[in-house]
Amino acid sequence: MATASGGDEFVDKFPDEAAIIKASFLIAFVSLGIGAFFGLIQALHRTNVFRVIDSADYYTVLTGHGVLLAIVFTIFFLCGVFHWAVARSLDRPAESALFSWAWVGLMTTGAVLATVAILGGFVPNLGMSADVLFTFYAPLQAHPIFYIGLAMFIVGTWLAGADWFLSYRAWRQEHPDERIPLQTFMVLTTMIMWYISTLGVAVSVVFFLIPWSLGLIESVNPLLTRTLFWYFGHPIVYFWLMPAYLLWYTVLPKLAGGRLFSDPLARVVFVLFLLLSTPVGIHHQYLDPGIAEGFKFIAMTNTMFLLLPSLLTAFTVVASVEHGARQRGGEGYLRWLGALPWRDPAFTGMALAGAMFAAGGFSGMINAGMNINYLIHNTLWVPGHFHLTVGTAVALTMMAGSYWLVPQVTGRKLYSRPIGLLQVIMWFVGMVFMSNAMHRAGLAGIPRRTAEPQYQNFEFLTPIGSIFELRVQIALGGTLLFLSVVLFLFNILLTSLGEESDRPVDSYLPEPLSGPEGSPRILDNLTMWTGIAAVLVVLAYTLPLAGIIQNGGGLFGGGLPVPATVSAGVDLVLTTVTSAFNTLWGVVA
Amino acid sequence: MKLTKAQALVLIAISVPVAIELRTVAGFFNVELPLIAVAVIEFLFLALLFVLYGLYGEGSESAA
Repeated sequence: MATASGGDEFVDKFPDEAAIIKASFLIAFVSLGIGAFFGLIQALHRTNVFRVIDSADYYTVLTGHGVLLAIVFTIFFLCGVFHWAVARSLDRPAESALFSWAWVGLMTTGAVLATVAILGGFVPNLGMSADVLFTFYAPLQAHPIFYIGLAMFIVGTWLAGADWFLSYRAWRQEHPDERIPLQTFMVLTTMIMWYISTLGVAVSVVFFLIPWSLGLIESVNPLLTRTLFWYFGHPIVYFWLMPAYLLWYTVLPKLAGGRLFSDPLARVVFVLFLLLSTPVGIHHQYLDPGIAEGFKFIAMTNTMFLLLPSLLTAFTVVASVEHGARQRGGEGYLRWLGALPWRDPAFTGMALAGAMFAAGGFSGMINAGMNINYLIHNTLWVPGHFHLTVGTAVALTMMAGSYWLVPQVTGRKLYSRPIGLLQVIMWFVGMVFMSNAMHRAGLAGIPRRTAEPQYQNFEFLTPIGSIFELRVQIALGGTLLFLSVVLFLFNILLTSLGEESDRPVDSYLPEPLSGPEGSPRILDNLTMWTGIAAVLVVLAYTLPLAGIIQNGGGLFGGGLPVPATVSAGVDLVLTTVTSAFNTLWGVVA
Repeated sequence: MKLTKAQALVLIAISVPVAIELRTVAGFFNVELPLIAVAVIEFLFLALLFVLYGLYGEGSESAA
């Protein structure tokens, strides 16, 4: 791993890259602010604590919250981190600053268009809305600008990936026999996964949803758009997570005072994510008709295998952090925890994010299991799960990482470490309240994706406590989370407005305890891993997609409002009931 | 070892999920813990932490 020592700061060494990263972070943080505000409105509205919008507008807010946080904030931030990681670890600038600005510009334009379409939902006279939720598949339809914006955004990410691959290619020509630096290896494997997985959403948006929203085609095959969405919709989870993993593997051990335990193990983890991230999306469709149970089972098996890289990460990162603590004088079985740098918000935020990710992983196992999924499917349990994963493991890591990265790319000292520490603690506590209550409410059967989760003449029951307590927890959690975001943005804003510093942070990253020379060279064979990943996708998706197209009225649905398999099922039931009734009538008569 | 403000803050944060799930854990043993009991336990924990910080916190003379 290439290193940069203090006094040779990133912003001085790579000023063009620093400008790109700052622009990416700026858009990410603006999205974070708006998305978090929408989250507060949702939390207070759903729990009926305080309502400032009509329930009909709830879905506009929900879509804005999902798209701005789960797509715009996370992906812009990760693009900034990846740009930093590639330049830093290859120790070279991007091949063309103009090309880098091109993907920033394209992504920004796409994000603005999608956001305008979403916000148009607040102004009915405008004739523009995109109340299709984060899961933007048919039959819900958005204004074409929403889909066009998303398509531009995705193409922008592809160009960003190309930027990093070009840097790698140039580096490789000068270093033909060297191992790929770890951070660049992580970026490249993540991007290969992203290229494979975004094919699904690109096909869905470009060939079906845009023509449909423009009125060029009459109908679409809803199950096909849904399956293509989830083909991308679960791998995007790993697109969020892998930058967090990059920070956990390469930055967190340094902040703890130590070194990464094993570079080879980190490479294995990222290869496993590349292979297994994409052929899993059908696990979101256990209750969908038109997909054979066997393929649902394959998706479940692949998903369970994904626990392996996460568990490897947990052990490797904790071992690295423990090593750091012992370097700082920590002793004993658990007393070493006290030697960690808890004053540092970058460390504390990442550590707490990792701890909550463990809980998110456990609830994810419930989601992934075919049989037990039926218990929590489409209940509030599911948002509880992803508020632990993307909402905490990823978002909190990104905010904590900012406390270390923003000074590097701005050349300014962090405005306030105590405020940063309070902010990450507040996020942790707020998310404990929110996600705990969501999981419990899901077990009680409370649905997700609705402004009015209560039913007339029906009471949800909890084995312990009451629904009222859960609602209070969600509202309290949402409020703490919003306040945490306000503190974060305040701290980052004042940091970027502060005076320049000669040494804003110690940006040096130490070598791993076990370096890349200990890992087989085949791990760096990205072509081979890409091929295997593609084969796994073909095995998992070819037959289900063929069945969906064949039974669902073709590629464009053939005017059918629902997949044909459902109609066939209804017909079968009707035929059976009619014949049974006729038989009974014959006996009676 | 001195108890720092940051450590105390992290301990408070960690105590929140423990307190919230205390009733679930008690439920496994057929003990119905009322919400007020959890609040009292959490309050006692915070009080203990406050005392420990006074005794062993940053700036205290008794700290090792």
